[in-house]
Amino acid sequence: MENHDENKEGIGGMINPRRYGIERVAYLLMRLSGLGLLAYFIGHIYETSSILKGQVGWNEFLALTQTNEGHAILAIVIAMCVFHTVNGIRVMLGHGGVGVGKPARPDYPYIPASQNARHKMGIYSAIVLAAIAMMYGLAVMFGE
Amino acid sequence: MRESIIMKIHYGTALAAVALVAVHVLMRLTQSFAESLEYANVIANYQFLPYAGMLEIILILLSIHGFNGLRVILLELKQGKTYEKAVSYGCLAAMIGLIAYGSRTIIMVNMGMI
Repeated sequence: MENHDENKEGIGGMINPRRYGIERVAYLLMRLSGLGLLAYFIGHIYETSSILKGQVGWNEFLALTQTNEGHAILAIVIAMCVFHTVNGIRVMLGHGGVGVGKPARPDYPYIPASQNARHKMGIYSAIVLAAIAMMYGLAVMFGE
Repeated sequence: MRESIIMKIHYGTALAAVALVAVHVLMRLTQSFAESLEYANVIANYQFLPYAGMLEIILILLSIHGFNGLRVILLELKQGKTYEKAVSYGCLAAMIGLIAYGSRTIIMVNMGMI
């Protein structure tokens, strides 16, 4: 019997950012930033619950996060948050039919109308804005 | 529930969360970052009812968006009736658990139960 699973690349195929251009990189970054932000969100909920232990408990937990490493992690979280937001808005607009071009006969070299300069610019903007936000976050946290 | 409705909820929670998280972050910048995290300041934030209400809404929005996002990623990886049910109900349970845990903090601090 023919094996129908032979083309399944599993998680390796999912995290491979090559072969399909910047759109594929955006797909991977969207998922990585989403998982990172979910992990941070769960950690943040746990962290803030330390306030129930009173001032001593709060200050002890705060001391753990107010370090150079803590600030660096927070800067990465800021970058992930900005990228996820800007790229998410691009994806939402695309799903709504905004900026994806008009339907046309598929001609060689079969470049999808949706993978156009506007959406590529959206992806690069998301990356640049994430970098700027991260730098601003670092300036605020280390500038004190 | 139909996937098209779930995606509308996913996008709706995202847009609402962006606006509210922006307010939450700006509150940290009304004074110096370290000062805004001092115990007395944080307690005052929680005991200001509109702000506590906003934190509760952010908690619910981000939990729904985050765990639905995780569900989508896990369903992209593998399919199957049992697997899909396990992932969907697992994410739903985790979402409810996180909302309950976060709400406990907000309610207890808001009501001065510390």
